[in-house]
Amino acid sequence: MDDYRLEEYLSLCAQHERALHAYVHSLVNQKEDAADIIQETRVVMWKHFASFELDSHFPAWAKKIALNQILNYRRSRKNKPATPLDIEFIEKVAEQMDRQGTVDDHRTEALEICLRKLPATHRKMILWRYYDDLEVDEIAERTSRTITATYRFLSRIRHNLSVCIEKQIT
Amino acid sequence: MNQDDETLIIQAVEGLLEGTNWEAFQQRVVAEPAFRQSYAEELRLHSELHSMGSDLPETLTLPMENRPRWMLAAFCSAAAAMVTVLLSWLFFQNNNGIGEGGVATITSAEGCRWAGSDLPTVEGARLGIGHLNLIEGMATLTFDSGAEIAMEAPANLEVLDAMRCRLVKGSIVADIPESAHGFTVDAPNLEVVDLGTRFGITANQFGTAHVMVFEGEVEVQKSGETKVHSLTTGKTLVSGFSQIQAPSEDEFPAANTPLGPAPPGWQRITTRDGEGKDSFVRKTHPKPQGNSPLMMVKETELSELNRRKAIVSFDLSTIENRAAITDVELRLDVEPSGLGFASLIPDSRFAIYACHQDDWPEATLLWDSFPAIDPATRLASFDLRRGISASASVKVSSPDLLAFIREDKNHLSTLLVVRETGEFDKQGLVHAFATREHPDAFPPTLMIRTTLQP
Repeated sequence: MDDYRLEEYLSLCAQHERALHAYVHSLVNQKEDAADIIQETRVVMWKHFASFELDSHFPAWAKKIALNQILNYRRSRKNKPATPLDIEFIEKVAEQMDRQGTVDDHRTEALEICLRKLPATHRKMILWRYYDDLEVDEIAERTSRTITATYRFLSRIRHNLSVCIEKQIT
Repeated sequence: MNQDDETLIIQAVEGLLEGTNWEAFQQRVVAEPAFRQSYAEELRLHSELHSMGSDLPETLTLPMENRPRWMLAAFCSAAAAMVTVLLSWLFFQNNNGIGEGGVATITSAEGCRWAGSDLPTVEGARLGIGHLNLIEGMATLTFDSGAEIAMEAPANLEVLDAMRCRLVKGSIVADIPESAHGFTVDAPNLEVVDLGTRFGITANQFGTAHVMVFEGEVEVQKSGETKVHSLTTGKTLVSGFSQIQAPSEDEFPAANTPLGPAPPGWQRITTRDGEGKDSFVRKTHPKPQGNSPLMMVKETELSELNRRKAIVSFDLSTIENRAAITDVELRLDVEPSGLGFASLIPDSRFAIYACHQDDWPEATLLWDSFPAIDPATRLASFDLRRGISASASVKVSSPDLLAFIREDKNHLSTLLVVRETGEFDKQGLVHAFATREHPDAFPPTLMIRTTLQP
């Protein structure tokens, strides 16, 4: 494969990086697992990039490969291998996520604008949960809230962000 | 979607479901398209936020401007090292309540008098994190989340963030729109999480709090309990009631509250002086309340067992010549009882009765041994308007009160305090006055003026 093809691949990957990450994270709970799967997906994509036709939809192609990787990963996991229910669940959710549309530049930009509008306390919660990877119970302890109050608060922040994003996009 | 399903979906997204709960959840997602769609919606932003990686701290902490992407990338490599610094910067902003210019606004302030508040207290003022101490009037705070909290004086509230506050003492009514579901109020010995509703909380400073849902649903968790109580419209819950007791002597040396000198010509006699004493009784209380920091008063025809009445005795042995008394004024400090709601009672009238049984035992007085009230000995009355004019202290005087004090033969003079006004609802306010055991309010006091002796 020539350098031109490699450049093309890297450019498409970079462009759809967020979409791929988001997709995998929606189907895989563990952050470490998700990182492994994304890494493997990139390798497989590059291996098969020759068969990818440039005018077809890259995110859809990438998601298909990622889903395969997720299912393989879950099936081959030594402790707690996937049950038939796990597999069906992942497939159904993946199908539903496909209907939501992909993360594109507009949505990414809208999310960033909305994140900056959050009050300081909400930003702190988001950082703890999504950057420091604290679990809900750890955040609950830090903020001396109950677990119930904490996950409700997180859900509320996400809801407010969604509403803000819709406004930004339309 | 109903409340339970919503909760389930959020728990699943946060990875809080395990074992059979998780399996049951997966089965529903597979079988129910609508449930699956709701789950996918909740999942969407969650996974997008996860996917941001090191862009997240950068996005959250820098002011909005159009920076080229290469700068972003360059920044990211250094981001890991920077995060600690950025986080502490965030906290610093936050702790001072100046990040984003605060978390709430005072949207109305009717007849308000504030004391010792470390936040600005005029209408329209933006509030960061800190204490509000309302001693008179009614004020409404609107949090940036949309939550509206009405404070009824006397009340002390701590603003914690746009989704949270702490009621130290007094009463609030919370009106929570959809945008603020999950709003949390901490109160003594409990935490209330709103699920979309209007609810009231009232608390005293000694660990009792009372929640009532006017409309909708809340989740309440008592301190030290894992059980979460779900309260729906009309339901109430009380925390820490049995814990009401006098603060320890070491913590609050009772005699240390400075009263200041009495005005010229007046003598001040409180229930802390000499053999003075104060207490209250409630029909169902198995324990005497003589060492309680509050004396509670309530009249109701709706629940006989909730009636409460108070008794105070003043030691007048320092008054040399009773006949020389020209004025008498009884002063009582009104304090939050932590029980019941002002909105469920009308403006209330209270009466003071004379009592000739001065030897009532403070340590053992119960409902059945409370001195009988003789209607012929009603000496005076006073009114407390709810909310708007709730005031730090009431002052009562009348010719009958003066005559009783002048003519009482013993060195002790005893008065009974009862409420005459009933309530619309069993959850109506219980009124409370400070007693001699109260750590920071004035004890029941008689102000006495005598003609100057030649």
